[in-house]
Parts: sequence; structure tokens; C-alpha cells
Amino acid sequence: MSSLRLAGGRVIDPANPDSGALRDVCVRDGRIVAMAADAPADATIDCGGCLVMAGGIDLHTHIGGGKVNLARLLLPELQRDCCHPDAAQAWPARLDPAAHVTPGTLLTGYRYAQMGYTSAFEPAMVPANARHAHMEMGDVPILDHGAYVMLGSDELLLRWMAEGKPFEQIRDYVGWTLNATRALGLKVVNPGGISAFKFNQRKLDVDEEHVHWRTTPRQILHTLARSLVELGVPHPLHIHGSNLGVAGNIESTLATIDALEGLPGHLTHIQFHAYGKEGPKKFSSAALQLVEAVNANPNISIDVGQIMFGQTVTASGDTMRQLANADHASPRKWIGADIECDAGCGVVPFRYKEQSYVNALQWAIGLEIFLLVQDPWRVVLTTDHPNGGPFTSYPHLIRLLMDREFRNEQLARIHPEVAEHCALKDITRELSLDEIAIMTRAGPARLLGLADRGHLAAGAAADIAVYRQAADVESMFTTPEHVFKDGVEVARRGRITASPVGATHVVEPDYDRTVEKHLKAHHDTHGSVRFEHLAISRDELGECSRCGQVHVVPCTAGEGA
Amino acid sequence: MTDTTDAGAAAATATNAPWTCPFCALLCDDLQPDPHGPSLSPKACALASARLDELRLRPAVGARVDGRAADHAEAIALAAARLGASRQPLFAGLAGDVAGARAVFRLAAASGAICDAAGGEALMRGLRVQQDRGGFTATIAEVHARADLILFVGSWPAARAPRLLERFARGRDHQPAVVALGVDPGESGIEAVLPSVALADSLPMLAALVAGRRLRQPNPELQTLAERLHAARYAVVVWEPGQLGEQGALLIEQILRLLVTLNRETRAAGFPLAASGGTATANQVFTWLGGLPLRSRIATDGVRHEPLRYGADRILSAHDADLLLWLNPFPGEPPPATDLPRVVIGAPSLAATLGDESRTVFLPAAMPGVDHGGHLFRTDGVVLMPLHPLRTTQLPTVAALVAGIAAKLEASS
Repeated sequence: MSSLRLAGGRVIDPANPDSGALRDVCVRDGRIVAMAADAPADATIDCGGCLVMAGGIDLHTHIGGGKVNLARLLLPELQRDCCHPDAAQAWPARLDPAAHVTPGTLLTGYRYAQMGYTSAFEPAMVPANARHAHMEMGDVPILDHGAYVMLGSDELLLRWMAEGKPFEQIRDYVGWTLNATRALGLKVVNPGGISAFKFNQRKLDVDEEHVHWRTTPRQILHTLARSLVELGVPHPLHIHGSNLGVAGNIESTLATIDALEGLPGHLTHIQFHAYGKEGPKKFSSAALQLVEAVNANPNISIDVGQIMFGQTVTASGDTMRQLANADHASPRKWIGADIECDAGCGVVPFRYKEQSYVNALQWAIGLEIFLLVQDPWRVVLTTDHPNGGPFTSYPHLIRLLMDREFRNEQLARIHPEVAEHCALKDITRELSLDEIAIMTRAGPARLLGLADRGHLAAGAAADIAVYRQAADVESMFTTPEHVFKDGVEVARRGRITASPVGATHVVEPDYDRTVEKHLKAHHDTHGSVRFEHLAISRDELGECSRCGQVHVVPCTAGEGA
Repeated sequence: MTDTTDAGAAAATATNAPWTCPFCALLCDDLQPDPHGPSLSPKACALASARLDELRLRPAVGARVDGRAADHAEAIALAAARLGASRQPLFAGLAGDVAGARAVFRLAAASGAICDAAGGEALMRGLRVQQDRGGFTATIAEVHARADLILFVGSWPAARAPRLLERFARGRDHQPAVVALGVDPGESGIEAVLPSVALADSLPMLAALVAGRRLRQPNPELQTLAERLHAARYAVVVWEPGQLGEQGALLIEQILRLLVTLNRETRAAGFPLAASGGTATANQVFTWLGGLPLRSRIATDGVRHEPLRYGADRILSAHDADLLLWLNPFPGEPPPATDLPRVVIGAPSLAATLGDESRTVFLPAAMPGVDHGGHLFRTDGVVLMPLHPLRTTQLPTVAALVAGIAAKLEASS
């Protein structure tokens, strides 16, 4: 296969030594290789004046599966002038951002690639909907993908915990679920709360009992986090905490960290979980408290879930909280579902307004978190697409983080009381290119256990984005000069040039197979499909994912136990 | 997997080999047909039994072109040529599995086709309420675990989904109360509420009573029903969009209003029963690929969704298309009458329903869940069921046929 030299660019590669140096990056057979400076390459691209980075990795973006498709069905009016099955379509410089609130899978893949992203991970795959999620991800062109399967409000787990089944049996159920649904990680959403809502419970604090099963979120969190450690799954438990969006929910968030007792945990869209109840509106920033806890607990990583002003739609498994917010739907319509004794979903359109006190504060809280956490390796840049805003707003978000003057201009436009009192106004930090590269590439790769992604050392996959250096980082990060996926150029100055099928990243942890007889007994009584139909075989995954490669991320069983 | 040429029979003869019945939207996977036939006792499911009996006829039909037998390659080439010459094709029917729908979307994008499903009116009825108001639904296992009151509105689906109630209630310690509004199922154990007024009047009245409105002359039966809905711990309302008539969308809106009210204080969910044949599957696939559902025109310059204008019947009667591609690999709905050139891809039995074939290319296709594996969405739209072959066939799948046409079309453009 042919070789390629990206010559003379500034290589931003914080996972490896000498980030920021001017050097060549060489590619052969889809991999980064070391080549002598005078060794001939089949093709050379002059990257003078450019930044060379690994392809972006979005570790939390709702790109495929039931609730995403429901959002599309709910909001056809947001699809005007944006649905474009044609790969050759140029990246329109200034599209209405609402056009990317619920894009189809084709547009999703193209838009990510056009921005220099090469991987995206669906964070909320319901076991009963796993085939569908893999189908949609398979139809996202170009991007590598994978999903975190949801447990924690499934009746089986709650029943087994209530019946005092041995931990090992529950751990093996977790291991079986990860294998059966071809997941990369495990997600818990409002632990126990989605189920509790089915029993008409409307609120569930971390130490509050489920009205029927009598388990608490604290017990569920610890059980699932410990299961992952014993199974050796690289990605920590992906936690959407209790009381999302509720004033004063910082208490729940700190209790969630406490419940982990030092076990690894990834707190997702943490902005929505960092609210105090101070001040005239009984709604305040708890970013400082949160950041203190994150800084003090090295077992904790976060992604932010920054909100961006404008129209979007929130799609979540958290039926309890979504229904509580449904009266704020804009436009006034929403979808909810109780799903298969597994989970639920709620889809509520939302418009974040600069002049809303609450929305302005949410915006400031997200930025405060980004700018105050000390260790960038434990912070991932997300908007929780589309919940905080569409992923196409990442370049704008990056500029807010890197350019204090620009940030202060935006601050002047939001609700005056927030602008006047928020901690953000006094934060002078501007994130560096290295820090941005960590939060958008190297960090998420490490948190997911993807050893050959997110960096540019020899042996890594040749997922590369080349950006023409410019003072306006928003425009720079919007339209890279070149984007390569596994060594193939997929986008050039905003035009899609190739549309390969991405790989599915999965884990296949070992577990004690005897758990299957208990699972079968449960499903024979309570399930709606036969037990043999629950697991997705490798062959069937190929049918779903259009025969994309399957990358098995190694588990290191026992290491952390 | 087996590498013998008789994979289907091998799968079917293995004891307890899983089979997913593709003949209604419940997609039951606990039926065990006798592989020699294949056949099934009507006691297991009357609908599946009858469909399997029909299958035994297996008409030996090959490809046809303008009323005469043709070989497969000629028919594919002609279909591609006519599609290539069409300025505005209409793709309709659109039954089939995920793989078929994925292929059809790509062909539609390449040819700028307007796409609508068989039974598109019923599909759109549910969809437009969803677009206007949203919805709240539950899935089969959830209803089975939780429902203590199940209310059927407007129709009794026994003929179309015979095992629905069984799927909701079998093996439960506490059987749910089952009530039918505006229809008398005539079955023991099911209460019929038959107010003297039509559903268009009784349903809004019920919704108003559930919302606690004071009505001047509340119907006592509806009053009682409203109280029972409030008292239920988890009420489930079932309806069939295809059976609610032309004003069905308004009725579904009333059901939704009722569910929203109930969910403020107690728990309730809806359960719309989809039509058979996989048009809901095509709708899901089109929605995720292009961002918009059926009744859309798919083209390289964008997807345009027109839920009223792009109805197949309207397009045909107004001559807003110049070619019809009809797709239905299941026995059942034949292509609509039209004087336009047609490409018909479907079950061999469709050949007998073609009528005037003077400008018709017919391509017989294998049937998902009978002749080959694949995936169909269950009625709740959550569970994507894997299908399995019951028998072997020489017929190509819809996906293969459509991809063949697309390849020819691309080669000639």
C-alpha cells in the first residue's frame, strides 16, 4: 500500500513527547509510521502553516438509536434545507445551527468528518434497542463508533439486588450484557430512577429507596462500578447522575462521587448536575464545588455537556426528569416511552436563550468547569449532542475556551445578572492547543481504552486532521485542510472526498457463563423475546454495521480488582 | 451458521431453532412451525397458520417484462433503463426488511424518487400526530409487566394481530382488566363500552372527564371509565391507526391528551399497533438515513418531506410521477392500478395481480423471515427483531434486486 508524508506541520500531540514541534507525520497501510526524513513517500502534502492533530473523538454524542430517531420524527421542521444524502455536498459555511440538531446518519458522519472528527460514541444504548442502535451507527459513514449500554433501571438488576443475589452473579450479568449487546462501555442513567418512574415515583435522591425494589442509587452505582472493575472494562462507569437539571443537585453529584468509594466513574454532561440553590432565583452555579471534588478525586473523569444558545432537542433515557421538564418544551411537544423493563426515553425540544437567567447560568457553569478543572485528561469536550447543543457548535465552543476576549464579548450578551455575578467573568485562563487536543482526542481515547487512537505516535491509526493555522480558531476548527480516516483522505477543505465504513469498537469481557441459565429463567417469564434472540452475534453485528471492522478493546480482568 | 446449500431447511429442522413470524407487527418468536410444509396449527396463531398455508402454493414465477417471461438480467436492465428515463419516479409499497429499505433509500437518492408506503395514510395519521404533539408509548414487555387496565380504542385487532392480548397477559399473576371502547369484541372477559355516540364524540368526552372537566351531561359509562383510568396504576391504551378512519389523527390526538393528563398524577402509556409488512421498518430506516420520514422526496439536492402532497394515491391520480416502483415482498397488497410504467418487486404471488402488464417489469423477490434472514421493527418501534429463513429459495432478496438496479443505473449515468 502507498505511503504518505504530511510535511512540515506543527504537530499537536500531547500524548507524546515534543508536542508542538514542527515535524513530518508519515502514514502507511492506514497507520502512522516512522520514516526517515529523506525516505521517499508516494505522496507528500505540504503542511507548512498547518496544525496536525489526531482525528477528533466525541465520547458522548447521541448519534444513533431509538430516541435519536424519535427526535427526528418529532421535529421535521428542523430538517429544512439540511438533509443531504450526497457525500459531495460542500460544508456550508454558515448554516442555521438548528439544521444539525437531529441530522440523519449520513449527514452526521459527513459533518463530523468535515470538522476533523473521526470517531463518535453513542452513550445510551438500551439493551432492547441494541440492534437498532448498531444499524444506525453502521449507517453513519466514515466515523468509528461504539456504544455504552444502559443498565441500572432494568428490572432484572433491581430484582436481583433486592433479592440479595451474590455480587458475582450481578457482575456476570453485566459482563453478559456488554457482550450480548456489543457495547464498548456501561452507562447508568438516573440510577434506579427510570424504573422508579414506572412505579410513579417522581424523584429519587442518591440515598432514597426505589418505591418498589427498595434499592438506592448509591447501591446501584457502587455495584455497577465494581462490576466493571472486576470485568476489566477500560471505560469507567458512564454516569448520568440523579436529579438532572434540578436546582441544588450538586448535593446528588457529590453523593454520587462518594458512592463510588474511589472506584472509577465518568460523570457525563456534568454541567447539568452542578447547580446550587443560592441567590434570588434559588438557582446558582455550583461549578466551584464540583471542580473541587473532581480535582480531589483522581478516580473521577467528566464531560461537560456545554449548552449553546439556540434551538435544540433533548433526548435522554431519563424519563423521570424529562417528563418533569416537558412543560418547558419548545416547540410545545414531546415524546416519552417506558421501554421493555430495561429503561425509558424522553425527547423534549428546547431553546436555550441568552436572556434567560437559568440558561445563561447553565452556559456560564459549563465554561467555568472547563476552565477550572486542573487536569485536562479528566475533562472531555462535549455538548451532549444534541442535548446542550448540536456537535457542529464545537468550533465555537473551542474559541470560547481559547480566546478570553471573545468569551467576554459573549458574556456581555447574556442575562445581565448572570454576567455580573458569575465566576466566569474573573477567569482569565485560555486553554492551549495541547489542552484542546487532550479534551477532544487524547483524553477521550485514553478514557475509552483506545490505545491506538487520539495520538500520532508510530503504530497509531492514521486518523488525522490538518488545520490551517489562523487567529480565529472557530473558523480554523470548522474547516480543516485535510482529514484522514485510517490513512484515507475523507475530507478536504470541507468537501467529503471518500466515505469509508467506520469500525465498531466493543469490549468482550470474560464472565461466568452459568449466569445465562438465570438470565434465561428470568426472560422466559418476563421477557417479550426468546432468550436466544437477545444476544447479537458477530455475524449479525456485521449485518447491522455494514460489515465494518470490529475492534475489540482489551479488558484487563482482575487488574483493578 | 451452516455452509450447506440447504441452510434454511437445516435451520428449520433443528429442534427449537428460533423463528420469527414476519406476518404481523408483533413478530412473535415463540412459534414452532413444522418445517415440512412449513405449517403451523391455527391454534398457535390463526394468521400465521393461514399465511404459511398460502406459502405452500409457491407459484413458480420468474421475472417478467411487459407481459412475457424474461431472464433476470434483462428485467433488471430494463427496470434501470426505465428508471433512468423517468423524470419523477414514485417508490411505493415499501414493505420489507432493513436491508431492503437501506438499498431502496440509496436507489431513491440516485433517482430523485418520491417515497410512500402501502397504507401510507394510516402511517401518516400516527406520524402527523407525533409531529404535532409527540406521544407516550410502552413496549410489549413493559405492558406485560405493568398494565392493570388495557383499553382498546375503536377497533379489536384480533384478526390483524391475533396474539396481542396473549403477549400482554400470559403467565401473569394478576390479569389486567381489558376494556374495549367503541367496539364490541364479542369475547368473554372483555368489557365493551359502547356509548351511544360515535368515537369522534366519546373520545373527547372521555379525555375531558379524565382531565376533571365538569360536563353538563357526562355519559355515565365514560365517567366510570375515566375513574377507572385514574385508579389504574398503569393504564395502557391500544389503537390501530389504520382502523380509525379518515379523522383518525384527531382521535389519536385525543388519546394522547388523555395519556398526558393521566401521567401528571399516575402512570399510563399508549400502544399503537402498526400494520404488518414492514412499512414501519422502512419509515425508521428512511428517517435515520435522511433525517425525515416517508412521504419524502429523496434526492441528491436534499430530502423534502410533504406528508399530504406525497401520498402515493394522490401522486398517481394527479400524474405527478411518470413511473411507479412498487415494492412488497410479502403476500398481500398488489400495486395500485395506474397507466404509468411500473417496476414491481415483490412476492411471486403478486404476479397474478398485475393486470395490464404492457409496461411492467416484474421481479419476484424472496420473502424476509421465510426465504431469508433480516430484520423487522416490532410494532413498538423499539425492538428490532432478527428474522430467520424457514425454507430455501433461488429468489434474490429485495436488497439484492434493488442494488442490482442501482448498479445498472449508475453504470449508465
